[in-house]
Amino acid sequence: MLFLKNIFLTCFLLLFFTINSKSQDNYTINGIVKDSLSGETLIGVSLKFNGKVQVGTSSNAYGFFSYKLSSGDYDLSVSYVGYRTINRRISINADTKLDLNMVPDNILDEIVISSEKRNDNVVNAQMGVAKINLSEIRNVPVLFGERDILKTLQLLPGIKSAGEGNSGFYVRGGSTDQNLILLDEAPVYNASHLLGFFSTFNSDAIKDVSVFKGGMPAQYGGRLSSVLDIRMNDGNKKEYTAEGGIGLISSRLKLEGPIVKDKGSFMISGRRTYADAFLAFSGDSSIKNNTLFFYDLNAKANYQIDEKNTIYLSGYFGRDELGLNETFGFGWGNTTATLRWNHLYSNRLFSNTSLIYSNYNYVIQNFLQENNFKVNSSIRDMNLKQDFQLALNNSHNIRFGLDLIHHTIAPGKITASASSSVNEVAVQKRKGSEIAAYISDEWELNDKINLVYGLRASSFFLFGPGNFYRYDADGKTNSTRAYASGELVKNYLNLEPRISASYQLNGLSSLKSSYTRNTQNLHLMSNSTAGSPTDLYIMSSNNVSPEIADQIALGYFRNLNEDKYEFSAEMYYKKMQGQIEYRSGTDLRGNRNVEADLLFGDGRAYGIELFLKKRFGKINGWIGYTLSKTERKFNDINSGQWFLAKQDRTNDVSLVGIYRASERWTFSSTFVYNTGNAVTFPGGKYQLNNTTVFYYPERNSDRMPDYHRLDFSATLEGKPNKKLQSSWSFGVYNLYNRKNAYSIDFRDDPDDKSKTQAVRTTLFGIIPSVTWNFKF
Amino acid sequence: MNFLMTIIPFFQASKLNYKLVILVSLFLFSSCEKVINLDLKKAESVIVIEGSISDQIENQFVKISKTTPFTESNTFNGFKGANVNIITPGGMPITFIEVSPGLYRSQRLKGTPGQTYKLEILADGKLYTASSTMPLPVIPDSVGFKKLSFFGNANIYPTVYYKDPSGVQNQYRYLVKINNKYQADIVSEDRFNNGNAVSDVINYDGDDLKSGDIITIEMQSIDRNVFKYYFAISQIGGNGGPPVAPANPNSNISNGALGIFSAHTKSTLSIVLK
Repeated sequence: MLFLKNIFLTCFLLLFFTINSKSQDNYTINGIVKDSLSGETLIGVSLKFNGKVQVGTSSNAYGFFSYKLSSGDYDLSVSYVGYRTINRRISINADTKLDLNMVPDNILDEIVISSEKRNDNVVNAQMGVAKINLSEIRNVPVLFGERDILKTLQLLPGIKSAGEGNSGFYVRGGSTDQNLILLDEAPVYNASHLLGFFSTFNSDAIKDVSVFKGGMPAQYGGRLSSVLDIRMNDGNKKEYTAEGGIGLISSRLKLEGPIVKDKGSFMISGRRTYADAFLAFSGDSSIKNNTLFFYDLNAKANYQIDEKNTIYLSGYFGRDELGLNETFGFGWGNTTATLRWNHLYSNRLFSNTSLIYSNYNYVIQNFLQENNFKVNSSIRDMNLKQDFQLALNNSHNIRFGLDLIHHTIAPGKITASASSSVNEVAVQKRKGSEIAAYISDEWELNDKINLVYGLRASSFFLFGPGNFYRYDADGKTNSTRAYASGELVKNYLNLEPRISASYQLNGLSSLKSSYTRNTQNLHLMSNSTAGSPTDLYIMSSNNVSPEIADQIALGYFRNLNEDKYEFSAEMYYKKMQGQIEYRSGTDLRGNRNVEADLLFGDGRAYGIELFLKKRFGKINGWIGYTLSKTERKFNDINSGQWFLAKQDRTNDVSLVGIYRASERWTFSSTFVYNTGNAVTFPGGKYQLNNTTVFYYPERNSDRMPDYHRLDFSATLEGKPNKKLQSSWSFGVYNLYNRKNAYSIDFRDDPDDKSKTQAVRTTLFGIIPSVTWNFKF
Repeated sequence: MNFLMTIIPFFQASKLNYKLVILVSLFLFSSCEKVINLDLKKAESVIVIEGSISDQIENQFVKISKTTPFTESNTFNGFKGANVNIITPGGMPITFIEVSPGLYRSQRLKGTPGQTYKLEILADGKLYTASSTMPLPVIPDSVGFKKLSFFGNANIYPTVYYKDPSGVQNQYRYLVKINNKYQADIVSEDRFNNGNAVSDVINYDGDDLKSGDIITIEMQSIDRNVFKYYFAISQIGGNGGPPVAPANPNSNISNGALGIFSAHTKSTLSIVLK
């Protein structure tokens, strides 16, 4: 890979000379694209300029676009899913400011496919990216009728669910902690509620969702596998509106409106579950006194100070609470806050500065008299991002910036009252900083070739104060050194080249290829497949090296039938270093010597992903298929031989169909099938002090049973043109009541202790749901 | 460590999440268990050694067996004809005699706390060795009971009271019998309550306690490696746990043998539930 890096750097330098030698373009056209009704800015809107040549760009995360054009007449075509396409003839003979208002089009199937191209997916050099349309999220059936971004994402090829009903996901052979999940740029450390059944993202508050499975642009970093970039709604700039829903599990309400009309707006959206409300009906006081619920709150406000300055303030607060009979309490949740300032230095140079705070913590409390205690654990980030986007000329769009992030991890602090038999113990806090600088260029080389290439230089610094340990091969402490506050303990520097290119075969199809290197300095210690509230993060240190992944991918993209259908095939190969497992018998709780029990190894993942989507029409939807393999290799596991990673699934199929039967009725259905995960089953057993103990000869050489499930939902929209718009959603999860295995356990037969048996646990059979949604 | 288990029987690190998941799904309607048939691989048999020496004057035992396939019945598949010795700190070998297939017994003797003992076994032409240091004894003050309830299930659990010695790392193992029937084998440590008066609640999955039951608890002081071995087994768990990759616990015996050699102190208390 060193070779590749060198080639890359050479290209990079060469390019700078080319860019400098070329600037004969004349005028800048720039502006903001908005929804005409709500004034929400629109992300990723495609703008095409048809003149002597056809060129184009798209709006950025703040709806802003800027492009260099030579003088002349152009046919401008502005298109975005769910909106009427704008076709306009413009003459460019000076720098032009052009704000565009797009009219929402509720009726997808009646969009006339005009002569304009909807072939961004083919032309764009970016690959390994998937966008989820929020209208799709609204219609795809889900567990308990709770709309869920993360579960809808799992229906795309290359993105696999971490388990039944679970919002955790695996991307191209990576584990759940290798996904960078950003909510308005703030990292979210635990993206699930109720132990994974619901995601922390309330889809009412979400404007845009993009996921990068490969070919990550240089502005993203810090995780190996994927980036999930979620943007919240800004709020309606024109009028006050309210919408919400009442469901079986939870209810939600969103309010939005202008602060100053057309200048600033706010949005606030909340959600709470009430599953535990049913407990109150129980006569048994030991059941009645339990609690189990979650809630979350999204809020955002923005204000446009003048033509050149806009500020945004957004935040998220969510919490899960579990309480057992006043003897035990367990609460966990995320808090994030983002302050952003958009500034136009010129009509070509867009700047965004973000100040970000993110905190995840959990608290466990025992209220029993003589053993009472309280455990606190948290991970906190302070983050500053400075991002510049420069429309250099009509073939180069440059993006560069800085990303500074400071982590503080408090692994666990136990406090107790004087009467308790528990001692107060604290595992020392750890502090570290990640500093990254990046630059990338989106380059339209010619009619056929588009490139996005860039470099991210990321460094990690681990600081004192604290005692840091060195360990021998057996995990025994070799030496301890105390560091003062702010003293540097360890530093790592990584260069991460990112490049992707597309080559147009013709107007309908293209070949794309990409190479990316990603590194990760925050590592999740978790024994279980699903995200647990007590997950423990550690940083790279004197004992732990950064995780590194190199991925190459090759893809074929084609649109069919006047862009009605889109097809893609992507192949990838990913090599990972510094993967982490731990020795059997490691106790993560309150353990200051966790690093002593870690094992380090390599990983590799490869596969092919096929995707066919029907984008318009009465019936739309998609089919995704992934064929893949994911392996790990550790010296001390499986005799040093490659073994299948727990997330390995050979075949993975998703089918999604949405049918708009009439103005008011929409039906949809999903089907998923996948090979069972790789697991370890006993290869024998023995008796130890009269107890059966199982013998595991090889790691992950067995398979769970195949998983498949069919879901269905129907949505009835209320009569149109009323002040109060309402709709009913009816859903059925697991329509044919398939008993999928959540786990398979082995034990002595309770009725005949001389025998052992395998027991399958199924979480969800057939589950109906109903939700009522409203808006006024 | 057991203070956590006081509160939720499922607070074993690996099991917590899983049990909660089941719990949550019960809340949200459904979750069910079914015994299924699986075509499991039959791995080649491996030798298993379970040896110990205590601080009581008694016959000490070493058990040697081989693993059996999953589908066979749970019997002790004794290994015959091994040459078994425990070497004292002074270098003197104590020879064990096979009294039944796989069961090897010493003369009546006792080990001394603070001393390191070695186990040497010659079986099938292979030499297996292990060593273990007998910790200083910790004697339980008394045994009592605690009633705890979780989501509607109220149960009585035996509780061991003792004073943990301060300044040293201690590990304990409890072997619990109810009416002379073996019920539980649980380990704990003093990481969170070093030097305190401790009440360890014995959370077990066996028969429910009722009035008139005789509870016998053997409390052992065990060394660190022995603790880690049993802790690893409890993490994998025979009765649940999330679908993690289970593995064989790290043994202190050389040459790839499964099992453990433990030099420990022990004391036994009995109580009748009124």
